[in-house]
Amino acid sequence: MGRLGRILRQSVMAVRAFKLRTLFCVVSVALGISSITIIVAATEGAFKKAFDMVALFGPDALLVVSGSDEARAIGKREKTLTLEDVQAVKEAFPGAYVVAPSTSMGDVTVAYRDKKYQSLVVGSTSDFSRAWTWPVVEGSDFTDADIRGLRNVAILGSHVVEELFAKEDPVGKYLFVKGIPVQVVGVLSDRGTTPTGQNLDNRLIMPISTVMRKMQNERKYISVFRVRFVDQKKLSRYEEEVRLLLRQRHQLPEGVPDDFRIISPKEIIKFLAALTGSLVVFLGIVGVISLVVAGFVLANLFLLSVKERSKEIGIRRSVGARRNDIRLQFLGEAVTLTTIGGLIGFVSAIGGSRLLTLIADFPIHFSWKAFAVGLLLSWFVGIAFGLQPASRAANLEPIEAIRT
Amino acid sequence: MSLCVLENVKKRYLIGEEEVEVLKGINLQVEQGEFIAIMGPSGSGKTTLMNILGCLDVPSSGSYVIAGKEVTQLNDDELSVLRNEHIGFVFQNFYLLSYATVLENVLLPTLYMERSRDGFTRKRAKEILGLVGLSDRAKFKPNQLSGGQQQRVAIARALINDPDLILADEPTGQLDSKTASEIMDLLSKMNQRGKTVVVITHDANTAAYARRTVRILDGLIVD
Repeated sequence: MGRLGRILRQSVMAVRAFKLRTLFCVVSVALGISSITIIVAATEGAFKKAFDMVALFGPDALLVVSGSDEARAIGKREKTLTLEDVQAVKEAFPGAYVVAPSTSMGDVTVAYRDKKYQSLVVGSTSDFSRAWTWPVVEGSDFTDADIRGLRNVAILGSHVVEELFAKEDPVGKYLFVKGIPVQVVGVLSDRGTTPTGQNLDNRLIMPISTVMRKMQNERKYISVFRVRFVDQKKLSRYEEEVRLLLRQRHQLPEGVPDDFRIISPKEIIKFLAALTGSLVVFLGIVGVISLVVAGFVLANLFLLSVKERSKEIGIRRSVGARRNDIRLQFLGEAVTLTTIGGLIGFVSAIGGSRLLTLIADFPIHFSWKAFAVGLLLSWFVGIAFGLQPASRAANLEPIEAIRT
Repeated sequence: MSLCVLENVKKRYLIGEEEVEVLKGINLQVEQGEFIAIMGPSGSGKTTLMNILGCLDVPSSGSYVIAGKEVTQLNDDELSVLRNEHIGFVFQNFYLLSYATVLENVLLPTLYMERSRDGFTRKRAKEILGLVGLSDRAKFKPNQLSGGQQQRVAIARALINDPDLILADEPTGQLDSKTASEIMDLLSKMNQRGKTVVVITHDANTAAYARRTVRILDGLIVD
């Protein structure tokens, strides 16, 4: 072992010897590090969730929703987008590989034998699976012929299947949607719930033509349509161009707000940031404050320790320790303590975040990044707050140190 | 050959606004292999002299050469190295690290050596513990030992780096007379093995073990 290693071993020895000091320092550092670790993990979790959601939504996709923001705010559901709008977008953007209109009806009673289920009926073109990157796991998607022929066929969300079919294979079976017999042709994969708690698997997909004509008595207006572009880098530009095209088609003069809304991946990330932001800020303040407090606790206990141990310092100096050796030993003690505090803080952060996810569905993701940030911060605290006491120890004159 | 040569060494301290001259021109030579007692009442400057002999402090003026090095020319780090390589201290209050074992205390000076071979130094530490009669106490903590045993540990620590000079400051001050004579016997034994020993004391019985006695009074050597 080199000289450095031998001196650091002395640090570890002292950490083990002065147990009360060790306890206080470790606990206070652990507190600070654990809240900061949770923040890092939560921020990462939020990003990961946002990423997952964008991947689910489609990073190359836009969703155009009927109705102005004002109308939606007061709960009015007006339909402003038409099938012609969809056709116009399709013609204007050759770079769009999917342009899929859809329309929806909430709380529709779906019945199979004696079982009933309240479902969301979504009318879509044959592109549904591709437009939403939502694989059909059993049976098949619609065909164009289904759309053109206004056929009574449906693809079911996994929850609908669970509720109505139990163990039966639903494909090929007939069920009643609003009293109309409809044949099941496919089943969608599980998609779970959105961060806002909306169940995505409760839906039933039918040809848009069938839904509009036979259920809504509607020939023109749709709820939403989805566009996916080959070149996702140009998405922001496409978004602006789609907006201008629709405003022009809807003959909206300047100054009048849009009567539709375009949702892009960017907006999803913004929404999620807002959702987790406040908690992160709160924990951030708590974390920084407690880490600073931990630093001062450390510095104080170390100053006290240097005072108490001046004889030890004198002994070490008299047997040949240089000032730097003393400084290194005390810094080593500080960093050893904060490292232990950091590790304990990380472990308790994992425990604490479990608690947090019990209270609220909060995305938390632990990775080496959270670990590294915690460890580096604990080292930083050890060095920043340990340096002054260590230097004071180093600057003691040997004869004064030994006579006190 | 002289191990230590002090020429007209003066030491002044600033106490408040007043400058006090504690050593007023010490001339002293310590030969290789000597056993010297420095005697004097308290306040005579003997502790200051010991600090200077041990390179814990430097003269205000004059010259002190130890092992061929002029101490007044050395910086703090060089003085530390000098203490580490050439001087072994034995203090009145033993000054052992309470949280370290006997063996770890003995090994303390080896931590600060530029080059240290762990296996070798541990083996040597055990040999020296045998020499001072504490082979079976290596894993004990200092507070499990008697005063005499603690002082033996301190002597073992002073010997571990094979120094030229052993400086003992009132080594028997905290011990009863029987233990004191054991400790002094031990120091004599070390002297017989070739170590130069300087004992600072105000006790005539302790000083009697030395082959030469130097008296200091009011910062000057009187005979």
